[in-house]
Amino acid sequence: MDLGLVIYALNLAAIYALMAIGISILWSSVGIINMAHGATFAISGYAAWLATGAAKPLIEATFDSGLWTTVATASTLVGAALIAGAICGAIIYLLAFLPIHDKPNFPVRALIITLGLNIMTVQGLLWTFGPRNQGLPKVFGFGRWEIWGAKIRYDQAGTIIGAAIIMALTLAWLRYSRRGLEIRAMMQNGEGAAYSGISRQVTALPVLMLTGALAGMAAALLSQTIFFSPTAGVVPLLMGLTIALLGGLGSVPGAMIGAVLIGFLEAIVGAIPFLGQRYVMFATFAFIIAVLIVRPRGIGGLLDDTRE
Amino acid sequence: MTERTYHKVGRRPWELRGTPDGAAERARARVPGARRHWLKWRDVHNPKTLRRERILADKKPLWWTIGLSALAVTTPFLPNSLISVVSIFCIYAAINVLWTLIVGTAGIFSLATLAVVGVSGYVAAAANVYLGVPWPFMLLIGPAVGFVFGAILAAPSTRLDGLYYALLTMGVAEICRVFVMQLKALTQTGGAITQVDSFIPEDWFLQRPGLLLGFAGAFALLLGALLVWRLVNSERLGLLLRVARTSREDEAFAEAVGIDFRRARLWVFVISSAALGVVGAFYAMYYRSISPQIFSLDQLLLLFAMMVIGGLGRAEGAVVGAAIVVLIDKGLPELGPIRIIIVAAIMIGVTIFAREGLTGARDQFRDFRKRKAGERRALRTEKGGEAMPEEATEVHDKQELYYRRFNKRLRDRLKGLITPELIEEHRRDPLGRHSDALGRVLNYFRRGEMADKYIIHRMEPAVEKFRIMAVSGVRGMPPRVVDDREYDDIREAYHAVFLLRVNDLLES
Repeated sequence: MDLGLVIYALNLAAIYALMAIGISILWSSVGIINMAHGATFAISGYAAWLATGAAKPLIEATFDSGLWTTVATASTLVGAALIAGAICGAIIYLLAFLPIHDKPNFPVRALIITLGLNIMTVQGLLWTFGPRNQGLPKVFGFGRWEIWGAKIRYDQAGTIIGAAIIMALTLAWLRYSRRGLEIRAMMQNGEGAAYSGISRQVTALPVLMLTGALAGMAAALLSQTIFFSPTAGVVPLLMGLTIALLGGLGSVPGAMIGAVLIGFLEAIVGAIPFLGQRYVMFATFAFIIAVLIVRPRGIGGLLDDTRE
Repeated sequence: MTERTYHKVGRRPWELRGTPDGAAERARARVPGARRHWLKWRDVHNPKTLRRERILADKKPLWWTIGLSALAVTTPFLPNSLISVVSIFCIYAAINVLWTLIVGTAGIFSLATLAVVGVSGYVAAAANVYLGVPWPFMLLIGPAVGFVFGAILAAPSTRLDGLYYALLTMGVAEICRVFVMQLKALTQTGGAITQVDSFIPEDWFLQRPGLLLGFAGAFALLLGALLVWRLVNSERLGLLLRVARTSREDEAFAEAVGIDFRRARLWVFVISSAALGVVGAFYAMYYRSISPQIFSLDQLLLLFAMMVIGGLGRAEGAVVGAAIVVLIDKGLPELGPIRIIIVAAIMIGVTIFAREGLTGARDQFRDFRKRKAGERRALRTEKGGEAMPEEATEVHDKQELYYRRFNKRLRDRLKGLITPELIEEHRRDPLGRHSDALGRVLNYFRRGEMADKYIIHRMEPAVEKFRIMAVSGVRGMPPRVVDDREYDDIREAYHAVFLLRVNDLLES
């Protein structure tokens, strides 16, 4: 296996991990399977596209040198995507959590509402922007490094590093902050957290905003590799969902391992000549079905077993 | 003289009630080959008119008959485009009813419904086009494929949790789509099988007679799906599964009483998959082709929206939801992408406000009204009520409750009237003219119940010697002596009884 393949696999894994961790955290702490995660992804991408488009003349007027222009564009892009993602999270909180969180059948109803939001978003984007692909400014530029004979594109490297930084920040925040402690308590045992005075209503908002921002970050990073269209969120949502399930819903390390596994699987299946890109989804689903039949609780269940 | 109008009283004056002849024998028709009756008639006793009345305890069959016959009667008069909309509605409703069987009755959250339809449709169509099997046999090949595919799909359902299984079935649908798209034989048509033979003759296709024939077939399909739903959901399998429906504890209970609910679930799944196979074959025949579009996620989500809007797990919900969504999606094509947004908005709205979809709204409203009525009753009975709220719901004769409340208020009033002066007045003159207050108190005493009523007993004939006794209130049981005091004067005895009654009143 050559290094280019590894980098490609890691690139995919980084994006998938961002999506899957968000879904996983959300399920285990709040109890929502967020089908609107793809919608958040798409909206963040469009928000970043609009923001960079609007800020472009201003940035070009302010800065002369190339480096500062790039930095300003990059921060506009990432900032817009993060803020849009967080706002989407807040909207999901208002529609899918707050009215029904104490009503019967909450998980199924939340799933249905987020699904409805997802459909609405895709159709709304189609209606507003049309089905055309939109290219966002490539802040990492077009170019590649050569390391030991392998070519690494700038955007791939940027994606891997950016995703790693964001994930590290998120995990550190969850580990060391007061709010993170509350969220982790809710992930471990929701009732226990409620007994020790952690409000589910209050904590759910930052969780939803955080996971929304993670989806926004994934959108910002993926926008460096692909073009954006209204249906751009479907594949990341499906992959994030399947990886979260593969990792055993609610387990962050499980989701990460799952993302890396699926990333490599996709890269390898895509590289095998007689299979090719068309069989990627096929192979992924087949792999996940096989894993779930052998280990019904996914990788997270496996990790729990070894810990015990 | 003017005509008098009478207003019906009671809680449901609009309800039609039969008045059976009390002397005639009761005769009810049974479903042939079964012991069930066609309709759920119940005889009730009307406490106001004291007559026997007959009510229909379950009116759903009536609504089904009205709705379905209205559909069958009106459709032939519709324009061509609407006929095909109604036919599509019938097909989707049939799929949804069978899906309801899987999700509601069996409790398996499967998303492979359209995959089953698609696979059996493809196999049946391929048998027709490439092997030359005549079209009536497609209706046998379809369910056979559905049966086998359903059995394969059902196998992991006992092992996996709800969401994991839902994902797995979604994956199966995706795998089917990719597999069909890859088939070399179908590449020039984009994965579709065309030129399928059909029950609609070729030169009638998309003509009015063809459309009407298609509608007739789709309507028969819907009726068949409803029959399957009825046979599975309300007969033995459904009854077994109803025990283990709601929670883990129920499952444990079902297992403890010897119900193999997993096996029952698998059977329900396999039976409805076979029925979905029929739908698949019909689908291929109706369109004379079948394309990979049937495996797509959008189509699945549309069907899911139908079920959610109508009410997940109810047959009437599946049909009502299908009607609403098909009407918006196929009936208003000029709206463009907004119609999907409208469907999604309806779905969100229904889910936020309704517990079990539109068809469950009535029950939800009744629960709400009952709760509010209970709250009001609790508030009202807090002051002056004699029956506690929880007891009040169990007393059948509501007159009794009002009587108790009246009595309580009366006693409270009378307690206020009793003063030393009043007692003194009675002592002076137990029988004579009384003041208004004393008259009221004595009137209340006179109305008392027979049980434990005090009486004065002359101990020896012609001798002024009295004692006080209390009546048992039971026929044949002699009165009992209240205390051993003896009175020489009847007036004293009267007053003693009065004091005892006053004492009882003040203590109550």
